[in-house]
Amino acid sequence: MAIPALQIKDVSKDFGRIIALRGINLSVDPGEFVSILGRNGAGKTTLLNIISGVSQPSEGSVELFGSDPSDRQNKAKLAVISHEMFLYDNLTAMENLEYYSRIYNVPDSAVRVEQVLRDIELTHRRFDLVSTYSRGMTQRLTIARALLHEPALLLLDEPFTGLDQHAIGMLINLLRKQREKGRTILLTTHDLHTAKELSDRFIILEKHRIVKDGMMADTDPDKIRNEFFSASTAGVEV
Amino acid sequence: MRAAIAIVKKDLRMEFRSKESILAMWIFSLLIFVIFNFTFEVSRLVMLEIAPGLLWVAFVFSGMFGLNHSFALEKENGNLRAMALMPVDGGQIYVGKFLSVTLIMLMFEALIFPVFIIFYDLQLSLQTFKLIPVLLGGTIGFTSLGTILSAVAVHTRNQQILLSLLLWPLVSPIIIWSVTLTGMVLGGEITASFYPLLTRVVAFDVIFFTLSYMLFDFILED
Repeated sequence: MAIPALQIKDVSKDFGRIIALRGINLSVDPGEFVSILGRNGAGKTTLLNIISGVSQPSEGSVELFGSDPSDRQNKAKLAVISHEMFLYDNLTAMENLEYYSRIYNVPDSAVRVEQVLRDIELTHRRFDLVSTYSRGMTQRLTIARALLHEPALLLLDEPFTGLDQHAIGMLINLLRKQREKGRTILLTTHDLHTAKELSDRFIILEKHRIVKDGMMADTDPDKIRNEFFSASTAGVEV
Repeated sequence: MRAAIAIVKKDLRMEFRSKESILAMWIFSLLIFVIFNFTFEVSRLVMLEIAPGLLWVAFVFSGMFGLNHSFALEKENGNLRAMALMPVDGGQIYVGKFLSVTLIMLMFEALIFPVFIIFYDLQLSLQTFKLIPVLLGGTIGFTSLGTILSAVAVHTRNQQILLSLLLWPLVSPIIIWSVTLTGMVLGGEITASFYPLLTRVVAFDVIFFTLSYMLFDFILED
């Protein structure tokens, strides 16, 4: 039997008296694209932080390709894309990517940097400081930075936030390509239709627990919206 | 050490591009020297007594600025979290940040020391070269502790206040020893206690560098 890309067993997380996650069990196969849906405060980002090993669970265990995600060597297997850019404004796109390629020990780094810059259509601006980029360009560079070391697992925390339509379209295309390459992808989003378009499977987090785990192909996004995120519920974001 | 070198290169490249830290540190120290030089009319003998303390006041206050600035850059755009996600040992990240902060501080010291000599009309001799190990030892002690405590403080809202509160009590011994050693060199009175005191500074550096290297991983975690 193949080792799951991700195996979460009975994970709970508290911040003092604040409950963030309760009894999370999840297994994700290699190459699967899973969307994590839920309202603000449901625990989506905390779950991604635990999966990436940046945060430790209060209870339970997480395995990334069969090993501990907090082990530093395992971190090369994953990449995180969130609203935080992980870029330096005072460096050019090229310098930022060269820095990360050294950190991640990317083979043939010069070729790889050129390749990812081409993929995100930023070759013509590669010698410009990141501080001169628009939000959409910065997010594209963030994606290039994340894909530079060809991670096996991509964790995307609401990556579409603040993007224009062109950048959203480009990100969706890039994610499709990553899926075709067999990468395992976990995406948190409020956009049910994008989740439906991209993912094989979805889970819904509500009140810090997984309340639904299903296949996207069998699901109508509007039905999910009505069932779990109905307008009558206060604070609905979806 | 691949990651440590990459961090040093990145930090120095950003510093040389903006010159933000070195320029601010230099101007701040210049102000200290100017104010003390023109405010207090003291004899040359008294000036020799207070000059080493003054020099280290300038180094340490400017160093605090450098430390705060170095980690503020990492906080920007979530880069501190990016460090927690790197597939390298936390110790390597510590060494990278420590080296870049130390190099920037040493460059600043090299630029401000001639100004200090001119302002306080100090005589240079061959013996003045004995200041090099003193400045190196004192600076490394300050930055080895300062780097790890800045990484702790940067997670909080009152980063600068917390860094001062955490750093001052711990760094006091090495600053006191460095002031004493600087006084001996500048006053031309190197006594038998010079080398034992310098050894104590080196021991302080080794202990706090090693501890910080081992503990840095825990600080990067949430």
